[in-house]
Amino acid sequence: MFVHHFKYSVITLFKNKMLIFWVYAFPIILGTLFQMAFSNVEHSEKFHAFDIAIVESDTVQNNEIYREAFRSLSDEQSDHHLFNIQYVTEDTAKELLDNQEIAGYVVLTDPVNVIVNSSGAEETVLKYAVEEIAQQEAMIHTLINADMQGAFEAEQSHRNPEEIYQQAMALIQDDTVNIEDVSGEHLSYIVIEFYTLIAMACLYGGILGMVSINNSLANMSNQGKRISVSPAPKAKLILSSVLASYVAQLIGLFILFVYIVLVLKVDFGNHLPFIMLLTLAGSLAGLSLGILVATGMKANENSKTGILISVTMCGCFLSGMMGVSMKYIIDTHLPVLNKINPASMITDGFYALYYYDTPDRYYQDLISLFVFSGLLILLSIVSLRRQQYDCI
Amino acid sequence: MIVFKTFLKVLYKCKMPVILFTVILILFGVMNDSTSDNTASFTASKPDLVIINQDEEEGITKSFIEYISENSNVKHIGNDNEQLDDALFYREVSYIIYIPEHFRSDFLKGENPKITVKSTGDYEANLAEMLVSRYLKAANVYIRELDSEDEVIRQVRETLSKQAQIEITTQIDGAEISRLVVFFNFANYSLLAGGIYVVCLILSSFKDDNIRKRTMISSVNEKQYNRQLLFSNSLFMIFLWALYCILGSVLLGDIMFTVQGLICVLNSLIFSLCCLTISFLIGNLINNKNAINGIINVVALGSSFLCGAFIPMEWLPDSILAVAHFLPSYYYIKTNECLKQIEVFNAATVQPIVINTLVIIIFMIVFITITNVVSRRKRKIG
Amino acid sequence: MKHVIEVRNLCKEYKSLQAVKDLSFEVREGEILGLLGPNGSGKTTTINCILSLLSFSGGSIRIFGQEMSPDAYHIKREIGVVFQEVAIFDELNVVDNIDYFCGLYIRDKKIRKQYIDDAIRLTGLENYRKFYPKQLSGGLLRRLNIACGIAHKPKVIFLDEPTVAVDPQSRNNILDGIKTLRDQGATIIYTTHYMEEVEILCDRIIILDKGQVLASGTADDLKTLADIEEKVTAKVAGLDAGHLDGIRALNNVDEAAYHQDTLVVKYKTGKNNLADFIDYLKKEDIHYDQIYSERPTLNDVFLKLTGKELRD
Repeated sequence: MFVHHFKYSVITLFKNKMLIFWVYAFPIILGTLFQMAFSNVEHSEKFHAFDIAIVESDTVQNNEIYREAFRSLSDEQSDHHLFNIQYVTEDTAKELLDNQEIAGYVVLTDPVNVIVNSSGAEETVLKYAVEEIAQQEAMIHTLINADMQGAFEAEQSHRNPEEIYQQAMALIQDDTVNIEDVSGEHLSYIVIEFYTLIAMACLYGGILGMVSINNSLANMSNQGKRISVSPAPKAKLILSSVLASYVAQLIGLFILFVYIVLVLKVDFGNHLPFIMLLTLAGSLAGLSLGILVATGMKANENSKTGILISVTMCGCFLSGMMGVSMKYIIDTHLPVLNKINPASMITDGFYALYYYDTPDRYYQDLISLFVFSGLLILLSIVSLRRQQYDCI
Repeated sequence: MIVFKTFLKVLYKCKMPVILFTVILILFGVMNDSTSDNTASFTASKPDLVIINQDEEEGITKSFIEYISENSNVKHIGNDNEQLDDALFYREVSYIIYIPEHFRSDFLKGENPKITVKSTGDYEANLAEMLVSRYLKAANVYIRELDSEDEVIRQVRETLSKQAQIEITTQIDGAEISRLVVFFNFANYSLLAGGIYVVCLILSSFKDDNIRKRTMISSVNEKQYNRQLLFSNSLFMIFLWALYCILGSVLLGDIMFTVQGLICVLNSLIFSLCCLTISFLIGNLINNKNAINGIINVVALGSSFLCGAFIPMEWLPDSILAVAHFLPSYYYIKTNECLKQIEVFNAATVQPIVINTLVIIIFMIVFITITNVVSRRKRKIG
Repeated sequence: MKHVIEVRNLCKEYKSLQAVKDLSFEVREGEILGLLGPNGSGKTTTINCILSLLSFSGGSIRIFGQEMSPDAYHIKREIGVVFQEVAIFDELNVVDNIDYFCGLYIRDKKIRKQYIDDAIRLTGLENYRKFYPKQLSGGLLRRLNIACGIAHKPKVIFLDEPTVAVDPQSRNNILDGIKTLRDQGATIIYTTHYMEEVEILCDRIIILDKGQVLASGTADDLKTLADIEEKVTAKVAGLDAGHLDGIRALNNVDEAAYHQDTLVVKYKTGKNNLADFIDYLKKEDIHYDQIYSERPTLNDVFLKLTGKELRD
């Protein structure tokens, strides 16, 4: 009986085009869109050398500090390659700026003048770089003055200014700043998009559970009436429906995972067993949501599907699907919301695995998911225990 | 007229899902507007960072913190490591500076103590790193040459006070305009999704097999019938568009009443009508009510992602943009993006906008033609 | 004769509506029992109560002498139900649908295969075994609906309006199938509002109205309740009150009514009633279109008992 019902539940689910679309195809389509749209985003976050101009003048020719600094910043071989520099007249520079061929140009006056179109990333970098050079220049002057003064006081007139200048230059180029970067290697926040995608797929799996259970309930469908008058025990039927939809759901998730990891090459960290466990728990949460919607309310299947899709989409929206910062905003300002949002628990679990070295947060998410599922299933059982209805 | 009346009746019958869907879309629009500061615009010239000071705030440490604070936005996230790591991951801050214990005393001994940082590695983090290394470098140099701490602090500050003079040529209020553009780019999704949803919902009632049969054998002219349907649906589309524009003027304020705002409004009106023709085509191709939800998501999300409605166009890879040329959304968003750069409105600068608009209109004509062909084909059942 | 089903004092309310009132009847082994009544008379509700799908507020239901309950699986095993609505899976083809529902009763695959073939033959679906429900016409769908309900060869079969909106060919096929099932030993409870079907098919009839039994018995038993022997209907134009009185004065006439050019004359007893009637028309030189004489129908019975037509 169990196997018989299970077999036909699986067949029915796989033959339902709507379900196949939502649970199998849609997450893959969305994942592909994410990949296409976001593939460049983090890349754009990184520095790219950009074009600037410097207005030719005698000052530029004579100021070795500036010349040397710009030369090093425009050296394509160097790690500090920031700019591609053209030396032009002021009029040309203006024209280049108007045509947006350069981000800005520099006029060497005191203080140095930087002319840009608007305020943006490249403009800010240009400003910082020019300031840095000006400050180095100031530093050298201070050092030379101090040195000269010291030499004068010590009556060491044999020291020549050129030597002092070289010493000062050497001093400031001696890069001794001691900074250690201890940030983790997993900092790509775009992965969150894909985690919400998995969360969405887990929750959409609930639609399978809902359809499957509706098919076996007398007050929900005609087939259910027919099944209810058969000698098959109800508990067995429901359990086998649930199991069938869980299996169908996991197959869908497996395909999605294979696609995301092998085709889209999204990094999930190296904790495969934990990832699987989280996915199982997430699907269970989706399934229990589907069961509750199936049993808890009387509406036609389309409305129920609509409700599940809306709940899932809102959940995913709050956990960062349409903008990763949404999850952080909710996490910091209204944490309760994400504590009861299964999409957020799943996303956060993956995030914890990816980003954190300690498993505490992961387990917390995992347990929340089980508690969530347990609660929903308990609520469903109350309604499922009914064998007779007032009205069908 | 009778078609329009029936249209209203059907629309009234579906009021719940229509209202619900519209509210969700509008809500998304509002939320998108209110969170877009973090994600979409780069204009911040001061990095967001956190300073965790384990030393006493005295002398050189104090001065260092002061300098960083003056030149960045220092956030107070708390001392909890998890909170800090979350903030870094979600780009709430780009840089975390940990000043170790005994930093000051070690520094004064000339030991060059280590500063630990966490960084997102993005552009803001680079700015922050420049600030930190700039200060430390200057301090390291002066500590070797000068004796007293106060003197070192004074000289460092003096040196670092050297600033470049920035001259910004543009008259455009970049931040405001880019907010306007982000808002109207998002309209690409709202208008498409809303339009397809409602138009298809209503058309699927009109084009239901039995009703279609009955209409076909009636004396009404097929083309005229389609035209009346198109007209009725356009009223809803315009309503949706108006709603979005009103929302815009509430959220964005004055910028809506500038030339740029006006162009955005007109552009979105034309695009709304284009959405209508797309929806009409889809509605004529597909009669299955269940399929509507899937199609909305694929079409609306697809063209929004590919054409840069959610994330700036310049971040998209060229290959994607090449594909996007085949979608009307691309030209709609392109017009919005143009506004960011136009300084003076004259024939030359407005030309690309006119071309984009013409392309959208051509798309509309193509869609209507295809719809008519499809609808004619479908006159014979089976 | 053994009673397969006994319904005693059944009561069922839907909120304020009293759907079934103190209903009692029994079903005898091997008979086809017709439950006849207009729409909303409580036929389907009664069946759903018997099947333990609906809870009810009063009364008792016994099947095979045992109390019926949702857990009475040994009883359910012997029951087959064909619901009014088509209750099949769109995703499964004809054979799979029957196999699925049959499989809820019968585990043995070999027997099941045999039973499925029998059901397909009985409903005449041989040429549609691999068809999906979407590809079937309305009548064929109904036949599949029936096949799913009876494939497991139940001892008691409930058929709830299986012929609604069915073409004549499929209807005959269905009615023949039901007789075959009876001949194979099944007891059948058949609800309908088509009185012709009941007359042809049923061994015994129960007439329901507003959730109560109005009358029960064989078709012939019931017809005596109509209290008339013969009914003559004639299409005549322009009859005046004098003519009507003249007709009423004819031999044996019980009642004569004239409405919209149709004259209905009812007789309590009689011989040569039709001949007398035609003679009268001839004598008065009244032109007539068609005249027919018939024995009373169940509709007349219903009309007599409730004062309204069975089909409204």
